[in-house]
Amino acid sequence: MREPAATIYIVDDDEGVRNSLRFLLKSVGHVCQTLASAQEFLETYQPKQPGCLILDVRMPGMSGLELQQQLNLRGAIIPVIFITGHGDVPMAVEAMQHGASDFLQKPFRDQDLLDRIQRALERDTRNRAALTEHERIRASFDSLTPREREVLGLMTRGKSNKVMAAELGVSQRTVEIHRARVMDKTGAASLAQLVRMAIDLES
Amino acid sequence: MTDPNGHGQRVVGIPAEPPAALHGRLLQVSRMATIGEMAAGVAHELNQPLTAIANYAQACSRLLARPGADTSELQQALTEITAQAGRAADIIRRLRALAGNRQSDRAAVSVNALVKEIIDLVESDARLHGVPVSLEFADKLPDVLVDAGQIQHAVLNFVRNSLEALASRPSGTGRLVIRTAVTPQHDVELAVIDNGPGIARETAGRLFDPFFSTKESGTGMGLAISNTIARMHGGSVGYRANLPAGACFYILLPAASTT
Repeated sequence: MREPAATIYIVDDDEGVRNSLRFLLKSVGHVCQTLASAQEFLETYQPKQPGCLILDVRMPGMSGLELQQQLNLRGAIIPVIFITGHGDVPMAVEAMQHGASDFLQKPFRDQDLLDRIQRALERDTRNRAALTEHERIRASFDSLTPREREVLGLMTRGKSNKVMAAELGVSQRTVEIHRARVMDKTGAASLAQLVRMAIDLES
Repeated sequence: MTDPNGHGQRVVGIPAEPPAALHGRLLQVSRMATIGEMAAGVAHELNQPLTAIANYAQACSRLLARPGADTSELQQALTEITAQAGRAADIIRRLRALAGNRQSDRAAVSVNALVKEIIDLVESDARLHGVPVSLEFADKLPDVLVDAGQIQHAVLNFVRNSLEALASRPSGTGRLVIRTAVTPQHDVELAVIDNGPGIARETAGRLFDPFFSTKESGTGMGLAISNTIARMHGGSVGYRANLPAGACFYILLPAASTT
């Protein structure tokens, strides 16, 4: 399930905490990268890199919550596990509302953290697969000619070939050819799947 | 108190108490209150090495559970654990030094050194508020003849006020500067500057009055005590607006005579 190349990013301004987390995660075979500030993370983060982010809430300069907002603005999908020194409930609620995958209070049981990382990585894999599929569908829809797009629109509204031919002022045979091309280019196996793809693109 | 004829006289409402003793008690209470207010910052600061220690220890357990554990790796973790325990002990030692009921011992020191002694405490509190602290120290400062703990106490009061004022700013935009300088009158100035909302003109004149507070939960004693401390050292405290925004609280101390 987990991609082998997943990287666990650790962003904490405290060197002791940062290094101890790296040591712990390496001891169970994770690949880690440690960063001392939110800014440093934004500079090095590659959206294509699978993984998850362990993020300290309070840091001088850009806080963890602000980094999360920045990532949301950039459309980054990396799951975030927040760690905090205090049981700051309002902050935890805010973080979760903005899509944090988890919230842990320092110090924590290693198993709790490892379980959450595992969950976050699985979530990342799912998100990435969905995103890849979404992009593939978009590219395939973009490759349709204007006429094929018209046919697609009529197909998803459930029009028969006969009705389409009449509406477009072409022969049924021509409609069938366009239809086949739409199915071929999008890779849809059925009309139902094609409709789902169209809905996916609109969301 | 005595009247011109030498007869003892009680002034109603003012307890007859040796002023020095009263003052010492008040200072001690205020110092403990300031430290109490900073306790959240200290707790957070202590939590960091504890977290690191817990992480290393748990990693060691995992490594040991495997056959053929790499002892050099374990050694590295144990070294880190020792270092982090030392760090926690340091934080407590500094706190104790500050909280200790010290005699008023005056010594010639540089205010830069005074600030450096409490910078960990200041930074832990500031970090908790998400505020970076910068130090702008003048190079060639004359020494001042002071009770270090009292001056540090006054500075901590300023810092507390600034951090509370900065809470009204969007998170991450607050800044705190501790600056030292020599004035044209050859006094030493130690200033705590923030970019918070500043102090309204109409309240600025009463800032150092006892029991005056703009904070709902304030005792109104912090700045008044800082004022007393400064005056006991032949100096003064003051407020000026920081431009373009914020507040600057400063303490002025006479330079120790070099003779």
